[in-house]
This record gives sequence, structure tokens and C-alpha cells, in this order.
Amino acid sequence: MIDEQQLIDAAKAGSAEAFADLVKLYRVRLLRFLLTRCASFADAEDALQDTLIAAYRYLHSYDSRWRFSTWLYRIAIRNAQKIRSENIVELGDLSDEESDPLLQCIVASESENLWVSARRVLNDDVFAATWLRYAEDMSINDISKALDRSASWTKVNLLRARKALDSELNRQSSGSEAYG
Amino acid sequence: MDKLAKQLRADAALIDVQVSDELERRITASLHGLSPEGQEPPTIRQRPAAFWWASSLTGVAAALIVIAVINSQSRLDEAPTRAPEISPIAVLTTPIIDWKTESAMLTSPLRKELEDLQADIKKAEQKVKEDIGL
Repeated sequence: MIDEQQLIDAAKAGSAEAFADLVKLYRVRLLRFLLTRCASFADAEDALQDTLIAAYRYLHSYDSRWRFSTWLYRIAIRNAQKIRSENIVELGDLSDEESDPLLQCIVASESENLWVSARRVLNDDVFAATWLRYAEDMSINDISKALDRSASWTKVNLLRARKALDSELNRQSSGSEAYG
Repeated sequence: MDKLAKQLRADAALIDVQVSDELERRITASLHGLSPEGQEPPTIRQRPAAFWWASSLTGVAAALIVIAVINSQSRLDEAPTRAPEISPIAVLTTPIIDWKTESAMLTSPLRKELEDLQADIKKAEQKVKEDIGL
């Protein structure tokens, strides 16, 4: 089986098939992440398409000292910001389930999805850092690179995010106990 | 892994997204017409040597035919050539410079001087002749 680095090398050499295989590894993960940062599902899809096009176009500039996922997420974050700045719609405006693409895609569960709470209590960059840390298992260094922030900023803000989410989790637990 | 990390991971997995067929087609179509930057353009496939010989010979033959046709047509259309006549109007309108007049004008003071000198010499010669009694 061909590993990721071989696919990257082949894609760099001009193989569109290798890039298509590479895309298959990341597209669902990227779309899930973009969904948390865009105002609509269509915007998230557009951001994904733009991200993959940009990645293919500038593949020659990819530095293999970075993880490929870090590089991809960095492009994705920029594209999501670009689309959001064009559409002006703020994520805070998406209060109802009908207009919120993230709420539409969450499988029904007993308690509120913690990522919905995270989006409510954290700002954009801290949310992204938290996502990359806990949903993508990225290291502090990789998150710093993806967000173009210092390692200390990432550490501090992840710690703050943890505190905020811990209290959200406790609130949910106490709420469900109260109902029970 | 602590409780919060577990919960976040589990909740991320509960976000159910699928890349639709339409999006898949869009992405494939976008990537299809694209070539990565910084990559050399694909080289043109080498054609067999016979192709170049055939095209060269065709070119030479076409050039010979064109030359032959032009020559044959120029012989048929050939007409006696005559020197172009000079129009009398052109001759009349050409400005004529009177070089002699100009030279005379330029030398007239010298000539007068010369005549005066010659007259003086004649007078002096006459005076000398009178003095010696000739």
C-alpha cells in the first residue's frame, strides 16, 4: 500500500491520480472542520473545493518538514476566513437549527454536542486550536503553524479553552442529573 | 486521555458529513484543468524522423511551384518598358541659381581695385617718361 509521503511525492511530480488519492484521505475531515467555520453547508463545500485547488496548485511549495495535514488545514482556515469575509454572515447569527450547518449535521444525542458549546464560548482561533488538538490530534507545534500563532499562544489558549469547556461539561452533567 | 478530550473526540465523530457526488464532480473537474505551479509544462511528444522529411519536401515542392507560377505569369504580362518622361513643368519649376552673377557680385570690388591700380601704374609710367624727356 502506498503511504502518504509517496502520494505527496508522486503528486509533486505531476500525478493528478496521486493527488486525488491524497484528497480522499482528508476531504471528509476537512469538510467537517470547515463546517464549524462557515455560515452554510454550501460555503463549507466551496471552502473545501478552494482548499484542494490551492493545495494542488501550490503543492511545489509544500515543505515536507511540516505534516501534510497541518499545511492543508492552514490553507483551509484561510479559505474559510476569506469566504466568511465575503459573505459577512457571523457564526453568532446562526441561532436556529435550520440555518446552522453544524447543527444540521450533528447526530441526535442526549446532551448538547460539546463542539456546539465550544463554538459558543470560544473565539474563532481558539475554537480552531481546540479542534485541531482534540479532533485531529495535532501537536502544539503543528497547531501553531496551522494558525500562524506562537507555541505559547497555543498552549495558553488551549488551557483556557479546556477550562471553559470543562465548566460547560459540568453544567451539562449537572443539568442532566437535575432532569434525572 | 481525560474525560474532556474523550468527549470532544466522540462529539467530533458525531458530526456526520459526506462529500456529495456533486461536490466530488466539482472538485475533480476543477483539478482536471489545473496543473501545479512551478512544474514544467508537458513536453511535446517526439514525432518520427520521416514526418520531418515529408514536411520539408512538401515545403520545398510548394515553394518551387509558387516560383514557377510567378515566373510564367510575369512572362505573359511582360510589357515593353520605357523610361519615364520628364515633365516640362517640372523643369520649369526647378529653381535655377545664377552662379555667375553671384561670383561677379563677389569679385566686383577686387576688379575695381585692380583697374584703379592699373590706372595708377599707367599714370606713374607717363610721369616717369615725361621726367626723362621721352
